[in-house]
Amino acid sequence: MILISEKREHWNSRFAFIMAAVGSAVGLGNIWRFPYMCYKHGGGAFFIPFFIAIFTLGIPLMILEFTLGHWSRGGAPKAFAKIGRKWEWLGWWPLLVEFITVIYYSVVMAWCFNYMIYSLDLRWGSNSESFFISDFLGLTNIPEVLGSIRLPVVLGLLCIWLLIYLIIRKGVKNIGKVVLITVPLPTILLVILAVRGLTLPGAMAGVSYYLTPDFSKLLNAEIWLAAYAQVLWSFSLAGGIMITYASFLPKKSDINNNAIITCLADAGTSFFAGFAVFSVIGYLAYSTGVGVNEVVAVGPELAFVAYPTAVALLPFAAAFFGVIFFVALLTFGIDSAFSMVEPLPVGITDKWKVNKQKVTGIVCLIGFLAGLIYTTGSGLHWLNITDNFIATYGLALIALFECVIVGYMFNIRKLRKHANDVSEVKIGRWWEILIKYVNPVILISLFVMFTYENITKGYEGYSTFALLIGGMVLALVAFLLSFVFMKVKGEETL
Amino acid sequence: MSLNLSAIAMLIFGCVVLYGGLVYFIYRALKSKKK
Repeated sequence: MILISEKREHWNSRFAFIMAAVGSAVGLGNIWRFPYMCYKHGGGAFFIPFFIAIFTLGIPLMILEFTLGHWSRGGAPKAFAKIGRKWEWLGWWPLLVEFITVIYYSVVMAWCFNYMIYSLDLRWGSNSESFFISDFLGLTNIPEVLGSIRLPVVLGLLCIWLLIYLIIRKGVKNIGKVVLITVPLPTILLVILAVRGLTLPGAMAGVSYYLTPDFSKLLNAEIWLAAYAQVLWSFSLAGGIMITYASFLPKKSDINNNAIITCLADAGTSFFAGFAVFSVIGYLAYSTGVGVNEVVAVGPELAFVAYPTAVALLPFAAAFFGVIFFVALLTFGIDSAFSMVEPLPVGITDKWKVNKQKVTGIVCLIGFLAGLIYTTGSGLHWLNITDNFIATYGLALIALFECVIVGYMFNIRKLRKHANDVSEVKIGRWWEILIKYVNPVILISLFVMFTYENITKGYEGYSTFALLIGGMVLALVAFLLSFVFMKVKGEETL
Repeated sequence: MSLNLSAIAMLIFGCVVLYGGLVYFIYRALKSKKK
């Protein structure tokens, strides 16, 4: 049955849309990955390739995704089906990849939830590493040994999924209200943390590590690819999220300007987070009498080992700043988490016209149950493996397909015209050149680099069996399922 | 310990590109809304 028209819900305001898009883009990675990338890749010199990556990959892709969503008035599957029936799978693939991502991302948020409570009495004591690895996670030596399910993590996970369900079940109008709190709040908390951090002894040594440029590193291709990879992951691109969010924009919306604001706000948060993180790292080095390079950390190690250690050393109000840090992580993460879930129910509802609340409930339940594997003693291992294959390979490949299909299988000029017709800020032919020629080359280079590294260095010493099960099989299942979703007949309104 | 000159230069560079750009495009958005 072909339905000729339907009424699609809209964002409450342009501000709400931008907040939701920024909230989706800004997540845990902004806090715990970007500052480290700067430190690792030449300090302030990293800004040069990073800014170039923002303007050549981030903003053009963001404009592409916003335009696709706005033009098609549908989620990613509908958008690609509108380009060509045979490309609908490319709309389902990122949705499934994002859903797998949120399954383990929500577990990390469950850790934050627990640590927010533990901060009240600084439960990690003097050895935060031992507390995190042994007492909290009960980490097994290898992923094949599952270990026991960690009850506090399960309870935290349940709370996170309940929260996600409650936020997204009523659609974008509700999301528009929630992000008015969950986007400014962590930013304010980050400012408080940065001010506290910068007033601590040793802080400037940490900040100096973060900012001092080593321009010789610019000659290394690795730093350029790292900058492009950072932009791709940080901006929530290639996950179908931005296509879905933009599909709820009113007809007259400044797509181009919204895309630029979203990208700059996300990058600005990352840049600022560096001060909050490195000032505390500097203080930790000062307090323990070692060099900054010996305490610098990335990812979970930064959030659950280095930062808690520094918090425990604070001269006053340690618990207060501990709570603030984990509340900031939780609120930064929750927008990203629900934005990763939302596109899947939207895609299903767009295609099969089923009750969205029920679909959302089922999707959240599946997410919670699947996440239980990451709450076991081997959870951190599986999380590392899945993240490497799903987020790293998956997103780079999807972005590549997006550029190629829109650039070569469709009249890209039509999309540029659509974006310019509704936008005050106009884009020129340079946008088409970037999407058609420049970005595919960059994305292929990224993919080759990841593959080369995984083949030559292996991944964190994990066995082939673990890498196959936790990474490649999952990635393959997501890829194949996207074709199944395409093949099942729906009630479409193209 | 204070920041060295090159670190201060990168700080200014980062602020100008990111926050300067952000303020400019928000200004454009507000201006178009008024129109």
